[in-house]
Amino acid sequence: MNDNIYLPRTATIQSMRPETIDVTTFRITIDDSSGPEEFDYRSGQFAELSVLGVGEAPISISSSPTRPEAVEFSIRRLGQLTSALHDLEPGDKIGIRGPFGNCFPLEEIEGKNLLIVGGGIGLAPLRSVILNVFDNRAKYGKIDIIYGARSPQDLVYTSEYEEWGKVDNSRLHLTVDRGDDEWKGNVGLVPTFLKEIKPSPENTTSITCGPPIMIKFVIEALHELGFSSEHIITTLERRMKCGVGKCGRCNIGSKYVCLDGPVFTLKELKEMPSD
Amino acid sequence: MLDALAQAYDLIAPVQGNNISFRRVESGSEVTLDYINPMLSAKSTFFPQTETLFRFSRDDSEEFGIEPAREPGRSQVIFGIRACDARSLRLMDMVFDGQHKDSYYLDRRKNTTLMGLACFDYLETCFCPTFGIDPASGEDVDILFSDVGDRFLVEAFTEKGTALLERFAEFFAELRGDEEQLREGRKAGLAGMKRLDVKGIADKMAQLYEGPYWDDIGTRCLGCGICTYLCPTCHCFDIADVSLDEGGERFRCWDSCMFPEFTLMVSGENPRPNQKARVQQRFFHKLKYFHDRNNELACVGCGRCVRHCPVNIDIAQIIDDVSSGKAGNE
Repeated sequence: MNDNIYLPRTATIQSMRPETIDVTTFRITIDDSSGPEEFDYRSGQFAELSVLGVGEAPISISSSPTRPEAVEFSIRRLGQLTSALHDLEPGDKIGIRGPFGNCFPLEEIEGKNLLIVGGGIGLAPLRSVILNVFDNRAKYGKIDIIYGARSPQDLVYTSEYEEWGKVDNSRLHLTVDRGDDEWKGNVGLVPTFLKEIKPSPENTTSITCGPPIMIKFVIEALHELGFSSEHIITTLERRMKCGVGKCGRCNIGSKYVCLDGPVFTLKELKEMPSD
Repeated sequence: MLDALAQAYDLIAPVQGNNISFRRVESGSEVTLDYINPMLSAKSTFFPQTETLFRFSRDDSEEFGIEPAREPGRSQVIFGIRACDARSLRLMDMVFDGQHKDSYYLDRRKNTTLMGLACFDYLETCFCPTFGIDPASGEDVDILFSDVGDRFLVEAFTEKGTALLERFAEFFAELRGDEEQLREGRKAGLAGMKRLDVKGIADKMAQLYEGPYWDDIGTRCLGCGICTYLCPTCHCFDIADVSLDEGGERFRCWDSCMFPEFTLMVSGENPRPNQKARVQQRFFHKLKYFHDRNNELACVGCGRCVRHCPVNIDIAQIIDDVSSGKAGNE
């Protein structure tokens, strides 16, 4: 590692897999390391990706450290930097700094059941957890994944659902806000679907990520089901820049999302000011 | 002596221009001593307003080169820094040092000797004793100059300071013995300086997230950002790229929590959507959040924001309102 915290390492895009009309999963390898293991990350962390001349943005890592061949990021084309990333091609170089931030407490919750609730591209950081716990299947109890998007076309990682479905003692529950002629699954909002499925809070930790409005109602639903604030974990998005607690913009109260987060329990969030 | 220093080091000292500010000087004749505190602190010596982080080159090959922008390690001396600004550097160290080390800032800190100038007078807006700062002391500098009337009393407080004084020993005379007494006499000029009560202020702030106290301040604030620009402890910055034909550079520049874009996300969401929220952020950061992380308040009582705020938002008044309980009772 170099001693300059602002200097990106170079990485090569190995492949770009379109997930939806505006979300692509980038698979990258880091050039200047002796092996991919030098990018030593945990599920829940993020990295700062650069397109030189355009800028840099924090993106959550959607691959699992249990699969060290490459690092993956699922990115929606939204701002300048993400648009520039989408305009690249496999073989192109990008800059990367990180990994930064804390991680999901996957070691602490070994032996427990896991309820993963995602919405839209919010499944990206959760996919790191999903693959991680699948690769350590014996360490966890029942795994329920509840995932929804606006339409069937907005679901991400559809090519992996078949593989996920084969994992023991786990279930993927899909829903969409609006179906279409071909959609055979559930139609309805994620929080409503969650209440219908009624997962038990018994020995269970829930991890959720999605649009803020979904998270709000998912938390209400989880409380109704009997989940306490220590057992509801979420990951936050804030405008970040430096990733290392210097530039001063991502704080919520005295916590920096880039240093102390992005992963927080609901209990921790409730102790923060409404800032 | 300043001439000799300017030969041996990059000498940065107060210069009279449109206002008095710290600048690189070539000779002692450029330096003014006629100030209580320069309009701008010495912050930019360590954390420039704009600074290149690295340059990159692009050619037709797929590779790109990244060259960090590092200055040659020439040693610097800052002459004439006041106790409040010297303390602010100690607070900035807490941000730029730590788990992730900011080498741009820290290298300059390491290469710089601070020559303080003791205060024996103050402005109406000065309130550094609030934060345990003695404006006539050399607590946070390497060398302190105290003007005792017909001569300067010069003291070194660190190894760096002692080494520099030894190197320039020819400029200094033996003590005559009455310097301490003369200094004590001059300290009478500091009597009556504002010293506010800040005991337990972080806890008192915690009671003030809600409530109407910030409404008026938020309404008055124009969001001009002058407070953050002049503040010696404000450290927020933005990072951006400029692209040129054959490459470009990534730079950082000062940013301000007073600006709406500071926290605006690409999704359109803004966690601090109005000026009241932004004003609260600034004062909570100074008086609570920084304290929660570093056990120090992020204000040194230099009074610059008080002097220059176009709508007279006064942090000293706010501290007083919070400490006295007035802020909670409104």
